[in-house]
Amino acid sequence: MMIGQELSETGRRLFRDFPILRMLWESGRKKGIRETIGLIEKAEEFNRTFAVPRALELDMRMEREPEYFDWEIMRRACRYRFLSLFIPRQLGGIAGEFMVTNTSLLMDELCSGCSGIALAVGAHSLGVAPLVTSGAMAHWDTVLKEIVEGELREQPVTMAYAITEPSAGTDVEEPEYLEKAKLSLEAKKVKGGYVLNGRKCFISDGSEAKYFTVCAALDRSRPLQTWTTFLVERDMEGFSTPRVELKMGQRASHAAELLFEEVFVPDSHVLGYEGDGMGNGILMIMAASRGPVGSIATGIARGAFQHFLAWAKTKRNGKRPIDEDRIRLALADMWGMIQENRGLYMSNAMLGDGIFSKALDNPIMNLTLGLPSSLRTMPLMRNFLNSYYGKAMINAILRYYLKDEDMTQLLETASLAKFSCADNAMELCSRALSLMGPEDSEERRWVEKCYRDAKLTQIYEGTNQLNRLVVNNIRFEETLRVEVPRPLKKGVMA
Amino acid sequence: MIGVPWARESKQYTVLRSNALNFAVSELAPVADDLENTVDSPLLWKAVEKAGEMGMLAALVPEQLGGEGVDLYSLCVALEESAVESAGFAAALLFHNAALVPLVYSDRKDLVEEFTRGRPLCTAATAGETVLEEGKVSGSAPFVFNVMEGAPVLLFAGSGEARKAAYVRVGASGVETRIDPYPLGWRVSEFATLEMKGAEPHFVLDGSEREALAATERTLYLGLAAVANGIVRKAFQKAYDYARQRYQAGKLIIEHQAMRLMLARMLCAMEEGRALIRRASGVEDLAPAIIAWRRAGANACQAAMDGVQIHGGYGYMRDYGMERLMRDAKYCQMFPRPEEEQLLRLLDMAESGS
Repeated sequence: MMIGQELSETGRRLFRDFPILRMLWESGRKKGIRETIGLIEKAEEFNRTFAVPRALELDMRMEREPEYFDWEIMRRACRYRFLSLFIPRQLGGIAGEFMVTNTSLLMDELCSGCSGIALAVGAHSLGVAPLVTSGAMAHWDTVLKEIVEGELREQPVTMAYAITEPSAGTDVEEPEYLEKAKLSLEAKKVKGGYVLNGRKCFISDGSEAKYFTVCAALDRSRPLQTWTTFLVERDMEGFSTPRVELKMGQRASHAAELLFEEVFVPDSHVLGYEGDGMGNGILMIMAASRGPVGSIATGIARGAFQHFLAWAKTKRNGKRPIDEDRIRLALADMWGMIQENRGLYMSNAMLGDGIFSKALDNPIMNLTLGLPSSLRTMPLMRNFLNSYYGKAMINAILRYYLKDEDMTQLLETASLAKFSCADNAMELCSRALSLMGPEDSEERRWVEKCYRDAKLTQIYEGTNQLNRLVVNNIRFEETLRVEVPRPLKKGVMA
Repeated sequence: MIGVPWARESKQYTVLRSNALNFAVSELAPVADDLENTVDSPLLWKAVEKAGEMGMLAALVPEQLGGEGVDLYSLCVALEESAVESAGFAAALLFHNAALVPLVYSDRKDLVEEFTRGRPLCTAATAGETVLEEGKVSGSAPFVFNVMEGAPVLLFAGSGEARKAAYVRVGASGVETRIDPYPLGWRVSEFATLEMKGAEPHFVLDGSEREALAATERTLYLGLAAVANGIVRKAFQKAYDYARQRYQAGKLIIEHQAMRLMLARMLCAMEEGRALIRRASGVEDLAPAIIAWRRAGANACQAAMDGVQIHGGYGYMRDYGMERLMRDAKYCQMFPRPEEEQLLRLLDMAESGS
């Protein structure tokens, strides 16, 4: 068959596991699908040569030394260009027509090796996302270019996304709850910028990142109206990361506390504009990122499944567990869960690509990004992009391509994928351990790690309870709707 | 604080529970995290010594043999209360006490004295396959808890009717130990796989093997159910306390129905576990003990997982004490044998009328 001859083993596996990819291939999207396959081949190599051989040891080490970070993770990620997933090609990144799909598939693949290592890589893209989706082009030639150049030199420059606060986790991810949230961080307007005071916590990659996209209220008594996204740089005075948590799992990546003590952030570092931190900020990012969290959970489940399968096929005292019907039935159940998960996160990813590819690849963006970098970075151009008119232009483009109903549907599918995949992953890992019992085997140690790792997917990116309510509120009560920012009115922006 | 509101016990058990709770709160609670981080620590031995003073090191052994001679439910009460503060410590006590059960069927007071000095603790190997041939033990026993130099290990050597209760010593000639560097839970004592090649047993019970092994198994299953119930109680206590102080969406977490449902399930689990343990400890059959273990283990896993969920991100972090419950709970379900195996065994038992 043609497909078999043209494709690598990885490609054939992907077509078998994801029939939608085969359909896209056969309907003429070969270039994009080839890139997807190429990316997953890299992920397989990353796992085989790097992540898997050191995952258990690194996990143990992080328990003894929670502050240790293995920078080799990021250097390797550079080699495979995993830090540029969300960076437009015009800027040297690898974001293609299947950006969200690729991210989801990549996280599934990487997490089947080690979700801690994968999170260290993935959390960086989460940090990059607001810079891209807010259309903050004034920073694209500096921050995004620096990331790409660092990547090419294997000197990683990374980002992190800071939402959670010590007394507000779930609250800051949903508009209705944000209004009542007990916030710690506040940004006060001063001449030429803002002064940030307070804390963020549990920030993935927080202790390594050079740049942070940080959400903060300008007025804690009106958080929803004043919720704003800032670009913060590590070397800004008053900024520090005083604490790294000892997590139960996904340990290879840090969860850090960020401390802001009179941190001055200039006007130019507002992403989007004042007050659009929820609609244009968090909800848009959650719509794009909760699906990939579903794929993280799926990857963990698949890792557990692979180790369980290996255990089931190993002879013990002359018998293989897989020779028993109950084990064969369990394996089929588990594979069913994995494929169910994949169906859910792929629905979200395909929808995401349908929406974002238009916003990132259109004549105006191509024209702007087609200009020589030196032109865009001229003070005149930078000032324009940071000005009311520049932001209004970007805002108009975003509004033209990103529709409220599309983004709302994307958030719904993302939230559904997130909680379903996470619950399935937890159940799969738990069942695998119960079936194995007190075994002295390498496979059991892996599945125990997956069991610890999987639990986090039920918590981060909004707890599963919140995600269920989001689906309800969008689908059955129509009380939640993502609103892409309206045309700017003069005087409301920074 | 809400306890197990509907569980009523006789005065004898109420007093015992109260003493065990005092022990757990005063001796275990302050060191529970340290016990988790360092196996074989002086803190462990101090707690073991105190447990010995309370009669928890030879609880089931008759007084004439030098033990306390209490009933199995009393041991379960002590284990449950200990597990509220440290499931790992409670498991260590359980394996020790279970390993002593075959001695009840011997007349070896000297051995009881030797095995109950409290250091090292005894242990029981529950999985793997070992044989006793020509007076020597061979085979492999995976994932044995409480492994320390010199510890007497109870093995169920052989299979079927020919099984024997045999003890070998850790570190003896022909007994190799392979320490598991990184177990999921119960981290107060070492886990290891024991490989035996012609090891000389320290003692082999001759006569009443079947009764001795059945009683040992019953002790293990019921004891594990009690440890699991302790975890459910701790998960409930911590989650309930947290839910009453943390705000979300402008109101306390406890006011959210999703959280109330989780807490209510924990409350049911506590009652369910206690009732099943009481019922099973009142009969000599093994089956009710296995049933109690299955239910309590599953309940502990669910309660600990829900407890972590109620705590959100804090639940996932070591410093807040919830994640340990989740790791410990899973071992209550995985030990002493895989759950489905035991489920099938229950049907076999029912069919054979045993």
